[in-house]
Amino acid sequence: MRNKTQGQIFVIFIITVVMIAITVFSMLLGSAEIGLSDFFKLFNGSTDEFTGNILLSIRLPRILAAIILGGALSVSGFLLQIFFGNPIAGPYVLGVSSSAKLVVALTMVLLLENGLVISSFGMIVAAFAGSILSMGVVLLLADRIRNMSLLVVCGVMIGYICSAITDFIVCFADDSNIVNLHNWSLGSFSGTTIEHVRISLVFVVICLVLAFMLSKPIGAYQLGEAYAQNMGVNIKALRIVLILTSSLLTATVTAFAGPISFVGIAVPHIMRGILKTAKPILMIPACFIGGAIITLFCDDVARCAFAPTELSISSVTAVFLSPIVIYLLIRRGKKNNG
Amino acid sequence: MDKLLRTYKLDVGYRSVVVKDVEIEVSPGEIIALIGPNGAGKSTIINTITRQLIGLSGKIYIKEKDEASYRGEDLAKLMSMVTTKRITPELMSAREVVATGRYPYTGRLGILSKDDWDKVDEAIKLVEMTDISDRDFSKLSDGQRQRIMLARAICQEPEIMILDEPTSFLDIQFKIDILSIIRKLAEEKNIAVIMSIHDLEFVEAVADMVIAIDDSRVKAVGKPEDIITSDIIEQIYHMEKDSGKVIVEGLKEYSKALKKMINRKKYED
Repeated sequence: MRNKTQGQIFVIFIITVVMIAITVFSMLLGSAEIGLSDFFKLFNGSTDEFTGNILLSIRLPRILAAIILGGALSVSGFLLQIFFGNPIAGPYVLGVSSSAKLVVALTMVLLLENGLVISSFGMIVAAFAGSILSMGVVLLLADRIRNMSLLVVCGVMIGYICSAITDFIVCFADDSNIVNLHNWSLGSFSGTTIEHVRISLVFVVICLVLAFMLSKPIGAYQLGEAYAQNMGVNIKALRIVLILTSSLLTATVTAFAGPISFVGIAVPHIMRGILKTAKPILMIPACFIGGAIITLFCDDVARCAFAPTELSISSVTAVFLSPIVIYLLIRRGKKNNG
Repeated sequence: MDKLLRTYKLDVGYRSVVVKDVEIEVSPGEIIALIGPNGAGKSTIINTITRQLIGLSGKIYIKEKDEASYRGEDLAKLMSMVTTKRITPELMSAREVVATGRYPYTGRLGILSKDDWDKVDEAIKLVEMTDISDRDFSKLSDGQRQRIMLARAICQEPEIMILDEPTSFLDIQFKIDILSIIRKLAEEKNIAVIMSIHDLEFVEAVADMVIAIDDSRVKAVGKPEDIITSDIIEQIYHMEKDSGKVIVEGLKEYSKALKKMINRKKYED
């Protein structure tokens, strides 16, 4: 038992190292030729202005955003999977990301038409309102539809409806800023500023600390409501906190990077496979780091694979991660049939 | 007044009343069996005592204190349970499932101390599952799972145990094993037990008191030999006239045999 836990902590250490390595690698990746020596010069301040600018003002914010938001998304997925007691739950497939996107787009366009620019904080608030909205719809449906796969189908439909309305809004709004909005509505880290990073860091850290402090009742909840109740868990309060935390995490991600598909559903599954446990106290940090690695990797592919053309991050995550989701569905189907 | 748990004019149910005026009393070391037909409300009573449901009216006292006044974790230290609901934990070994019983005793992050793990292993030993304790819980048989869930309830170190049909879906040997363990817990650890049970043949061997429920109320309370009678059985299970007599006669013999088995098993180790 003790050895198992030690092994798991070692795995978390290893993936942390991987995360740092891929961060450095991503800093060097891009159309401007920058070598490892230029990167190390950053630390003693002897880089030339041009290189320093590219590294610190363009690449660093984007990389940090991918790490923070990618991690946030997978933790959000993990919390939703606990809440629904089901591995196929995730913020994207339940339509939460898309409806957050819709409300943000709507708010942006309305404000732009009145000559106002939305603040970062305002974006998060709008996205949070959107994610709570669709979460409410999903919860109402969940009450009637006991079958999780059907619920996911409903979530996907909600997502499509929201995306369609967003497209509509983007199409008919007239402003030069719409070009930006279009990119964002597909999911992208491009154009992330250090201010975005700062404010999302605040929200994500609050949610993560909260989730981590709740790992004890979350662990009890994994045995089902009846036993959790008997162990002294306040079920109602826990359910509310779980939903709010995962919605806020998804909202923060969507506000700055748009909807990112499949990270929230697939990463917790990958981490469970690697760690061979579902214990929240290990899974919450592991999901964060795993989500950071995968999102950063996918963002690297998105910006460099067909440079100078950028792909949307969701098209990359979909290619890599949707097979995992399909695998999950198949395995689940098998389990239910025998 | 040394009752560990006492209900007073308790009405239980969901929106409407399922069982009225439930009055149960249990002392340390005493085993109470709830019997009655399917849907009579045995589980509803149990779920109300374990706070899955809110009582519609009346009171539950634990150690002469209103149950509602206990904090969740404080109550968890006094009362543990095994339900009929199947749990489907992911990637948990049997030992880890048992360890969740230590929940109310751990700190904010729920990390178990060496002492906690010792209690976990002790409980696993008591249910004779030491050999399989590192196996994945989801791969165990029904009988093994039920023992593991019982071990979980034991290492929670309760004074009262609430068991909802602990013998359902088990074969005869597993039934004898589980009930011997429960009997042993009551006698050696002085734990009070309230359990619902469908297997009437085991009632006499395991229970000190029987509460028969039917028709949304408590029909009879008393010692097993006074309750498992042709009249009462006929009445609560809505049987044809005289068929109760035939059943109870047969039951008595079988019951005697099982009592022997359970007592022998209990003192074996």
